Parts: sequence; C-alpha cells; structure tokens
Amino acid sequence: MATTETPQTPVLTENEELARINADYAERFGFHDAENYLYKAPKGLSREIVEKISEFKSEPQWMREFRLKALEHFLARPQPTWGSPLLAEVDYDDIHYFVRASEKPGRSWDEVPADVKRTFDRLGIPEAERKFLAGVGAQYESEVVYHQVREDLEKQGVIFLDMDSGLREHEDIVRRYFATVIPPNDNKLAALNSAVWSGGSFVYVPEGVHVEMPLQAYFRINTENMGQFERTLIIAEPGSYVHYVEGCTAPTYSSSSLHSAVVELIALPGARIRYTTVQNWSTNVFNLVTKRAVAYEDATVEWVDCNLGSRLTMKYPSVYLLGERAHGEILSIAFAGKGQHQDAGGKIIHAAPNTTSNIFAKSISKDGGRGSYRGLLEIAKGAHGARSKVVCDALLLDEHSRSDTYPTIRIGEDDVNVGHEATVSKVGEDQLFYLMSHGIPEDEASKLIVNGFIEPITKELPMEYAVEMNRLIELQMEGSIG
Amino acid sequence: MPELIEVCPVSELPPGERRLVEWEDLEIGVFNCAGTLYAIEDRCSHDNGPLAEGEFDPDQCTIECPRHGSLFDLKTGRPKTLPAYAPVDTFPVIIEDETIKLEVD
Repeated sequence: MATTETPQTPVLTENEELARINADYAERFGFHDAENYLYKAPKGLSREIVEKISEFKSEPQWMREFRLKALEHFLARPQPTWGSPLLAEVDYDDIHYFVRASEKPGRSWDEVPADVKRTFDRLGIPEAERKFLAGVGAQYESEVVYHQVREDLEKQGVIFLDMDSGLREHEDIVRRYFATVIPPNDNKLAALNSAVWSGGSFVYVPEGVHVEMPLQAYFRINTENMGQFERTLIIAEPGSYVHYVEGCTAPTYSSSSLHSAVVELIALPGARIRYTTVQNWSTNVFNLVTKRAVAYEDATVEWVDCNLGSRLTMKYPSVYLLGERAHGEILSIAFAGKGQHQDAGGKIIHAAPNTTSNIFAKSISKDGGRGSYRGLLEIAKGAHGARSKVVCDALLLDEHSRSDTYPTIRIGEDDVNVGHEATVSKVGEDQLFYLMSHGIPEDEASKLIVNGFIEPITKELPMEYAVEMNRLIELQMEGSIG
Repeated sequence: MPELIEVCPVSELPPGERRLVEWEDLEIGVFNCAGTLYAIEDRCSHDNGPLAEGEFDPDQCTIECPRHGSLFDLKTGRPKTLPAYAPVDTFPVIIEDETIKLEVD
C-alpha cells in the first residue's frame, strides 16, 4: 500500500525565529553606497552650519532669519523626557546635518548621479513611477535628486516640487503657508527641522482639481550618522483632491541616524488630502517627526501611517478640524520588533460644529518590542454635534513584548458623540489551535491572525502598497528571505 | 458694568513697547504698535500659559507665544498659526488725560 508523504513545514524554535528577524533588511534596503558627495557638513550643529545651508540654497533673507531663530529655540529647549527612555540616546553632536549628493534635482533619471540612481533602481522607484504614479520625488540624504510630475497635471496647475525649488519658484505661496501649521517653536524637534530643513515636497493643487493617481516621495538616508530633515507642505485649494505617498529606508549601521521631518497639510473648504506613509527605516534610525493638518469647512484629511522600522519612532499625526463639517481620519499601524519602540498614535481637535473623526490605531509587538498608542481627542467648546470614534488595539505575539496605551480625551461641549475602545490581545493558544486543527501550520496561522488584525488599515492603502505592506509584515513575522 | 483701569501715562509706553497690568485675577498685556495701542489677555488659548512676554513684532502687530510658538494678532486676539486655534480676549484701550486706560468687564 502506497503512502503519501505530507510536506512538513520546518518548525522554528522561538530563538531561531528571533535570530532571523528582519533577516533580509540588509539585502533589500540596508545596503549603502560609496560617498561621492559635493558637500558633507562636519558633525554637529552651529550657527555657521545653518547659515551655510541657507547660503547653499540661495534663500531669501526671511528664510535665513527663520532658520536662525529656530536654531535659538532648538538650543533653548531641553530634550523631551516623555515618550520613551530611548530618546536619551539621541546625540545631537554626533550627526551630519547637511549632505549634498547632486547639484540640482533632475527631471529625468538620466540626470541623477549614476550611483544614486542605482540605489533607487534597487528600491524599484523608477519602475513604480512608470506603472502607477502621477509624480515622484526622490530624496537622497539632504536633498531631492529627482523630481517629475505628469505633464497633464502640470497643465492643470498642479505644483509638485521639492521644497527647495518650491521656495525659489513660488515664494509667495510658501511664505503665506509655511510654518503656519507647525511653528518652529512648537517643540524641540520642530525647531531643529525649521533650522536645518532641506528637501521634502511642496504640493499645490488648484481649486477643483482631482489628482487621481498618487504623488509619491521616497526618502533615502545613505551616510552613517546622518540627519535627514525634510519639510513637506501640501496645500489643497477648495474642492480639490490629492493623495501623497511617502516611503523611507536607510542602510543598517551600528551607530544612529536621525530623521526628523515636519509635514504640514492645509485642506481648504471642501478639499480632501490623503497622506500615506510606509516607513521602514533600519533599526539604527531615530524617527522623530511632527505631522499636522488643518481641515476647513467640509474638508477631509486622512493620515494612513504605517511604521515598521526604526529604533524609536515618535509620531502622532494630527488634524485640526477648523471648519464646520470637516472630517479627520487617522489610521495607524505600528510593528515593534526586537529592540524597537514604536510610540505612535494620532490627535484630532474638533474646533467647529458638526465635525467628525475616526482614529484607528493598531500595534503589534514581538520579540521584546514595545508598541505604544499615544493619542489626543479634543472637542472645543462650541463644537456642538461633533462625532468621533477612537479605537486602539494592540496585539502581543509573545510574553517579552510590551504594549502601552495613553489616550487623552478632552471634551468641552455637551452635545457630542464620542466613542473610545481599546483592546490588548495576545495571539491565543485557542486561536492557533482552531486554525491548526483545520490543517494550517503554526507559522501560517500566526500570519493569518496578524493579517486579519491589520487588514482594516492595509485595505486603505493603494493596492501596490497593501501588497508591499503585507509582504513586509510577513517578513517581520517569519524573518525569512522573500 | 464695564470698569476703567489705569495702565500708565501715554509717555511711558512708546511705539514698540509693552506693559503688563493686573486686574482682579486677570493679567493683561498692553502693546504699542506704531502708535496704536492694543490690549489682550495674557493667556495663550492653547495651554493657558503666559503669552504677553513672548516675542512682540510691532510692525506686524503680533505676539508669539513663548511656549509653543502660536502667533497672535494683537488687533483681534486671533491666532495666525497653530497650535492655538481659539482667540484670546481683547480689551478696548482709551486715552484720557494723557493716561492709558483699559475697559474691563
């Protein structure tokens, strides 16, 4: 009698799994190139460095003064002590604050220096542009090396430039909106960004224009001990729509790099902005970012924020609902693996009547990683008829990992409807047993449970990113090479 | 019933200068923007911290909150930048007998 042999999935012990975490990061994203730079600032921050950055960019006097004032704010403020004990590891003197890789952003990939272009080829950016993007910006170290937007959008008046060019070519618009959402003295890291900002995106969508395909920016750090401080400003005029997507990676080094962006979104009446981040920094990067949006009457702002990599991420995208019936949405996923702390969440401020919002935050902690949800929901006096729902769920994959929830809710109005739900769960023996009893191997079963857990958020990503996100999560789960 | 409180002689608050006064449990900042006087409550609407000691720009007639950087229009009390979104109280300024006075309620 013939017997059929069932293929066996190799069963890994927990230690083996731990050893294979993010095993292919070095190969896929963790490589670094030789440094053929035009300029690389010495480590440390000084007035001279700030002046040099401004001089390099031939900026107007008001921006130079803005930077220098911000530097004073940065120096005067103490390092925050809330959030994460890992913040104490950030050494501001051990960072290169400005690195110039190319003369100016190219509009064709042929204009990009060959070694830099090779990096973006390896990361698949030019291919993605051809397939499904309306525009692409690629930032390497401090500055944008490539920028292109589809011609038909340009003809409709859509501006998609790197921030340096935005300031040069559209100074009046930049001056009107720049730092009105996040002033330099908002917090220490916003002050630092304001002093040394370089690169990032400037997006302007004229009234009534719908940009149907996403605009994408890709941020790459290459140098060891690099600080990347991009600055993004998106203005959506009344009735317009834009979806902006950003992705981030860096090489794996044993010493730290710092990424500290400032992102300001302005959705004028009836406009809609969706901002999607798929962040996968290497685990030596401190990712300390300030992201804030304003939504006026009938406008919508959505943040879709996926945080996978970094040593420490502290990021709480916020939406100020300043006009009646404005809507804010924050969808956040954080995956904390070995040695990582993902302190993420969101803030919504209802400052006008009949405004609505949702915050859905999911965190997954594994191998001793720590995931925190930190959020604020505020309903101002007079914002009657406001409705909001906050849901934060945490999934712990083992007993060494940690999850914390710090929700703050302030309500200054009676006639409102607010819901808050929080759950912490562990992948339970019973769930695994149920799936395994249906013939699904244990590691597949764990993946299914995790995918089901994050599915409400990944379904909001563009298809290509949802596929990538699921793949990244699977990699984190099994540590195998794709 | 509104009440008039004295701030100082006009000569003591030239253009570009400011003065803080107290009335009951309220602190008020009085500012001279190029010859025109304005008064606002010394409390940032963002987190209730002191406001009037921040950076005063007499040309733009603004005050910047020293704690989180919100810029307020001294003429209207309205914030021009976040994180504050609600206006702060303003007070009518009156000059009588070469003395600056505020109308408080």
